[in-house]
Amino acid sequence: MRPRWRFVKILVYLLPVAFLGVFFVYPILTLFDISLRPDGALDLSAFAHLTSSDYYRETLLFTIYQALISTGATLLLSLPCAFVFARYRFRGRSLLLSLATLPFVLPTVVVALAFSAVLGERGLVNDMLRLLFALDEAPIQLERTLAIIIIAHVFYNFSVALRIMTGYWSSLGFHAEEAARCLGAGELAIWRDIRLPLIRPALLSAGVLVFIFCFTSFGVVLILGGIRFATLEVQIYYQAVSIFNLPLAAALSLVQIASMLLMLLVYTASQRRLQIPHGGRSEHSARPHTPRARMVVFITVGLMAILLFSPLAALLWRSLFAAGNLDATGFTSLAEKTRASLLFTTPLEAVFNSLRFALIATSAAVILGTAAAFLIEQRGVWSRLVDPLFMLPLATSAVTLGFGFIVALDEPPLDLRRSWIIIPVSHALAALPFVIRSVLPSLRAIPPSLGEAASVLGARELVKLRTIDLPLVGRGLVVGATFAFTVSMGEFGASLFVAQRESVTIPVVIYRLLGHPGLQSYRQALAMSVILMLVCAGGFLIIERLRGAGVGEF
Amino acid sequence: MLRVKEVSHAYGELVSLRQVSLQAAAGEIVCLLGPSGCGKTTLLRIIAGLETGYRGRVTWNDVDIGNLPAHQREFGLMFQDFALFPHMSVADNIAYGLKRRGLRRPLVNKRVTAQLERVGLAGMGERDVASLSGGQKQRVALARSLAPNPRLLMLDEPLGSLDAQLRDQLALELRGLIKEQGLSAIYVTHDHREAYAVADRIAVMDVGSVEQVDTPQDLYLRPGSGFVARFLGMTNVFPWRRSRFTEALGKAALPEQKCGDSLLIHPAGIQLGGAVADRSLQWDGVLLSKVFRGDYYDVSVSLDEGTTLAFSAPRVAAEPGDAVSIAVSLEAVIPLVS
Repeated sequence: MRPRWRFVKILVYLLPVAFLGVFFVYPILTLFDISLRPDGALDLSAFAHLTSSDYYRETLLFTIYQALISTGATLLLSLPCAFVFARYRFRGRSLLLSLATLPFVLPTVVVALAFSAVLGERGLVNDMLRLLFALDEAPIQLERTLAIIIIAHVFYNFSVALRIMTGYWSSLGFHAEEAARCLGAGELAIWRDIRLPLIRPALLSAGVLVFIFCFTSFGVVLILGGIRFATLEVQIYYQAVSIFNLPLAAALSLVQIASMLLMLLVYTASQRRLQIPHGGRSEHSARPHTPRARMVVFITVGLMAILLFSPLAALLWRSLFAAGNLDATGFTSLAEKTRASLLFTTPLEAVFNSLRFALIATSAAVILGTAAAFLIEQRGVWSRLVDPLFMLPLATSAVTLGFGFIVALDEPPLDLRRSWIIIPVSHALAALPFVIRSVLPSLRAIPPSLGEAASVLGARELVKLRTIDLPLVGRGLVVGATFAFTVSMGEFGASLFVAQRESVTIPVVIYRLLGHPGLQSYRQALAMSVILMLVCAGGFLIIERLRGAGVGEF
Repeated sequence: MLRVKEVSHAYGELVSLRQVSLQAAAGEIVCLLGPSGCGKTTLLRIIAGLETGYRGRVTWNDVDIGNLPAHQREFGLMFQDFALFPHMSVADNIAYGLKRRGLRRPLVNKRVTAQLERVGLAGMGERDVASLSGGQKQRVALARSLAPNPRLLMLDEPLGSLDAQLRDQLALELRGLIKEQGLSAIYVTHDHREAYAVADRIAVMDVGSVEQVDTPQDLYLRPGSGFVARFLGMTNVFPWRRSRFTEALGKAALPEQKCGDSLLIHPAGIQLGGAVADRSLQWDGVLLSKVFRGDYYDVSVSLDEGTTLAFSAPRVAAEPGDAVSIAVSLEAVIPLVS
């Protein structure tokens, strides 16, 4: 290898490492510093306060408790659906599977608002029940209960579990269960002896991932639950922003980081088991022939559609109709300044902000993520070191990240607290692991012989990169870009911390509008949520389609 | 005895089986032989009860089993990919069917040990199935399907994923094991040499239908259609009306009944040069190619008008391009239906 090429390579590899160092490691270390040495000397009083207080112990316990229930409910619902999706081929299957991913890319504030639109006191279901039974009060009182938080979490994470399990189940195939059937196993015995044991790695993997998401859930808990149901994440926000107890907030962040690291370890371990091939083939699904099978498919798909799309439909309905009449004032007033004094910008400007930040964050995340993926793929000592390092942002909650930013990047040369650039930077950081995880599998799937063949045929390093590696990871890149874009559009926790008045994003504006009394604010929040939902859904669908068209090229 | 009567099946628009009938007598090994996609695996899955939504009847000892779910049929099925349960040991895999029949633990263990010995894997019961070689996996799969004493054993390309050397040896072993238990068996393969070695009778399938059912010897000597002949590796299939044959064969006064759309010149009845037997035709041609195969040569000889005959010959002195003469026995001229 020529020295100049080597130099360029090292420079490219250094980029993501430097980015991670400055915008992740440094802020987190600052958090450590604040929590452990608030006044320059070692002072563990914040931790002492944490451990001695029942209140904070309960916060941690509640965080775990709600995540456990949410995870259990998600798995319980998605397992049979995954089976149906893996087992049967039916019309609209791939479309539904694609659409099922939609909730996952939706921002938490949108999901929270969608659920209040369908199940809340002013929600569709209550409206209908009131109308039907001529009631004065809303019969379903779910707002600010644990139940609505859990339902929203299920909605949110359903597709994650569904995708992991469907994919794994399809790759396993159904020969093992057919073999068991021929050996005399009935339906019950097959579930007990074959299906559940075989799907267990995917169940575990999906479970840990969903648990992680629920553990760090911020927007859903903040909006649907209120302070009564404070999770660690919400508590950090309150301590830092409302009470301004920075050492305590930092100590809570450390607890959060430690818990997440632990779970990430479990997750990587479960992932490793997931990759063990069982010698299955890929095409196993069959049409549901028997009436019973058709019934199973019909019921599953029906229930899934209701769970997944009724909140979104309710959100859309609520944003366009008030008391049964068309009322689009939520949309038409977006360009007006609201009476909410918190907002100096109009909601429309927030839309432009969000789009601008998302484009910057996506470009940054894709470039840095691809460089990082190539670095990890080197398979040296270096790569083994940096691989888990790049996953850390995933293990750090958005709130912690945002908090770290404002306490760390506050003095020259890195005084970014008042700069808008800090928002796309935080988004890019959050999106980085997604990009890496999307690119890495396709990169690893390229057999070394391809590069060697290209070399033998006369391709130089750069030509090899351009003609072999990049085209082959193209699909992964597109997937990574989707993630980055949607992550940025919907990012709430960090933005809430770092956004300045003139640089607020859509989710932040929605949250502020919700906190402001008055019908106009509520309708504007609904309208903004619909816009955000459509942007995320649109971007997602476009890229899904691009990906579908691109597959044929390689 | 198994009887399949006029079974038709379709995957959506795609017809996979068209009015297929077949039977297997007690203790008989029937091979389903055909190219991939001909419907042989589908037929197997219908017999096993894994495929529903077909028309026709499947009976066992004259009892319709169409509505009997797979797990109550007591048929054994060995999958091409073996479908060993990856989360169970070798012994647990073999024991699975026995446990489903409600056998008690000591009896299960005894039967598992016996099966392991029978397939030559004694002492390997505690092994993880992932640690086995291809041949060993095949034996475990076989032991697993044999253990519960199935009424009928079905094997879907059981040697398909093994290398050629292992295949010849295991085909023999398989036949031995099935015959030893006196089982009826349906054996699916796309390899005619494997079918010759294993089967009592062979059913050759082309897209969705059974073309011919015969013993291996009869099938080889008298393939009934151009498709069967070609699938068995015989390429000398010509339209009956081609002038050269009408003329030549007309002169030789073929038996009356020998008339079809096309004809096969069976390679076994072609001789290069040498003495001309009584009832034979003699033609001159040019040696096109000869390929050394060890005990014999594969040769092709071009008669004029571009008609080429392929066959094998023990010794070939001529070189490609040389003029040669061949003798074709009249028995080797076999009429075919299109």
